[in-house]
Amino acid sequence: MTISRRDFLKVAGLTASASVLPNFSVKATNRKTHGEQVAMLYDATMCVGCNACTNACRQWNNTQSETDQRNVYDAPVELSADTWTMIQLYQSGDESSFVKRQCMHCLDPACVSGCPVGALQKSNEGPVTYDPNKCIGCRYCMYTCPFHIPRFEWDEVIPVVAKCTFCNDRIVDGKGPACAERCPTGALIWGTRDDLLAEAETRLDQDGGRYVNKIYGKNDAGGTSVLYLSGVEFEKLGFEDVGVEPIPMLSEGTANIVLPGIVLGGPFVLGLIRWVSKRGGWEESWPV
Amino acid sequence: MASLASSKKTSLPKYFWPLLALTLLAVGLSIYRLFVGLGPTTNMNDHYPWGIWITIDLFIIPIAGAAFTISLISFFFGYDDYRAVLRPAIVAGFLGYLIVGILLILDIGRWNQFYNIFVPGFINLHSFLEEISLCVTLYMGILTLEILPILLENTKYEKNIKWIESGIFVIAGTGILLSTLHQSSLGSLFLLMSHKLHPLWYTPALPLLFFLQAGYTGLGATAIATTIILRAKNRPMDRKFIKRIGQAMGINLLLYACLKVGDWMGAGEIPMLLKPDAFGWIAWLEFTIGILIPLAILFTKFVGHSEGPFWAGVFALMGTFINRLVITWIGLAEPASVTYLPSWMETMITIGFIAGGYLAFERIVFYFKLLPEKRVSNN
Repeated sequence: MTISRRDFLKVAGLTASASVLPNFSVKATNRKTHGEQVAMLYDATMCVGCNACTNACRQWNNTQSETDQRNVYDAPVELSADTWTMIQLYQSGDESSFVKRQCMHCLDPACVSGCPVGALQKSNEGPVTYDPNKCIGCRYCMYTCPFHIPRFEWDEVIPVVAKCTFCNDRIVDGKGPACAERCPTGALIWGTRDDLLAEAETRLDQDGGRYVNKIYGKNDAGGTSVLYLSGVEFEKLGFEDVGVEPIPMLSEGTANIVLPGIVLGGPFVLGLIRWVSKRGGWEESWPV
Repeated sequence: MASLASSKKTSLPKYFWPLLALTLLAVGLSIYRLFVGLGPTTNMNDHYPWGIWITIDLFIIPIAGAAFTISLISFFFGYDDYRAVLRPAIVAGFLGYLIVGILLILDIGRWNQFYNIFVPGFINLHSFLEEISLCVTLYMGILTLEILPILLENTKYEKNIKWIESGIFVIAGTGILLSTLHQSSLGSLFLLMSHKLHPLWYTPALPLLFFLQAGYTGLGATAIATTIILRAKNRPMDRKFIKRIGQAMGINLLLYACLKVGDWMGAGEIPMLLKPDAFGWIAWLEFTIGILIPLAILFTKFVGHSEGPFWAGVFALMGTFINRLVITWIGLAEPASVTYLPSWMETMITIGFIAGGYLAFERIVFYFKLLPEKRVSNN
């Protein structure tokens, strides 16, 4: 509900009737809870590395293949402006695991908090979306992202920031993300976040030996819309410990104090300084 | 006008043409960058999305902060002797922010719609980058108002801007608040990067550290510039005044040092300083050059030496440079297959515009009255 206190007081004062108040709270929220928003669950133990997801992503989003030196395979080495998702392989001794990379679609995304012009938004459906018509190309999002996800079209004259969109243009039509709908083994599934968390918990309960006992993304960075199960420790797959606090908390908390503090308190402090240290001078002209 | 120039009316400094050539080269390269993109002209990449331009921006802004520090001291704290350096500080501040503005336009990828930062429906006030963008733009306007009376003095337009004179209290005050906001917010930018910035530099106190750093860096730059200008003009050095700049800087620097050390201790990061890895060494280097040496000058009898505050300023500025270099670049490094060093075009654009700024400052000092004819005494 985004009625400010001032609007509220204005309306309340005008009508002077308590009966209108409930009207406001009725139309207040069709905002989905995080649990109702869409999410994906990737189970690394079921992934066979077939790259169907990568190809589905390319087809739907029209991104260019990144071929190897013989121009044969689509062989991206890491995420790029053209590769929004990919499968990587971790291998060490007898231990190995595939791991899918893409935007984690944080519940409280640092990129959205930092974006000066609101080009990045956490949509009501769940995806973190990007609007090139707002973006100025400052690349702050690339630094704030705890998962190193956003990429930049360095070779374009007027580049855009590129990252997985969770196929937001499919989500709004009630379809699932292209990658999850294509996955042949069921390693990648989509649904509401609550359902997928329950599913992940069930798998951990029923087949605990198969997994390390953690759902990555459940609480990490305040929770993400892409959840991971793995048989290999997550650090080995390149998942850093980003804590469980939402990344923007400190920054936004500071902004909420500093901004009004200086704007409202600043003139008062300056006046006080001036008053206490009255040493003359103002009467003289400017320029000095 | 031109009262200071009367003795050597036509003389251009020897370095005028080389610096002008550098400036023009930078202008040409900038136009080229705008029309071919960042990829062909810079070495920035997905692992190092910010390069030398951002580092230089974050280094120039505290130096250009001299304008706000001196305004605060002279107008609000009422130390009238500081008015002697108010004009050079405002001119330097104006040129400094101009360079920053140019580099930022070159830096942003979608420069064709830079004005989106002013579109009310787009503005994200949770973003410190937006706050900085707005504050710096508004502050450019304030500096323009403050510089106009200097440039138009003794011309027929002088009477048209009388209103600036009468509103200078509000104008200067607004400038100080805008500076307080954006100098500290430059530090707040990194509050979203706790997981990326090296822990010896990351702290929730970054906004306060950046603010204090702007204070002593601006004063250091003032000490340097005053010493140079007075020497170049063969004026007798007002030692007492330069000493007082040094002392103000010293107080500021001491506060910064206490906060920095306190933060290291509070966060339990002292052992990291004793580890002989690269970051430990850099932290020591920065602390020694930027803090210990200037403190050793400013809190001993050297502060009274005619060049004491000058050298304290030089070391403090070097420290600030190392600090901003680490925070925008080295301290953000992640293990990656690629690295970053500025391309020759990035470098020449940076050098060229700084050269242009210096030239402009030199010519303004030459043609306009920036220093008072007689000393302004305190009280």
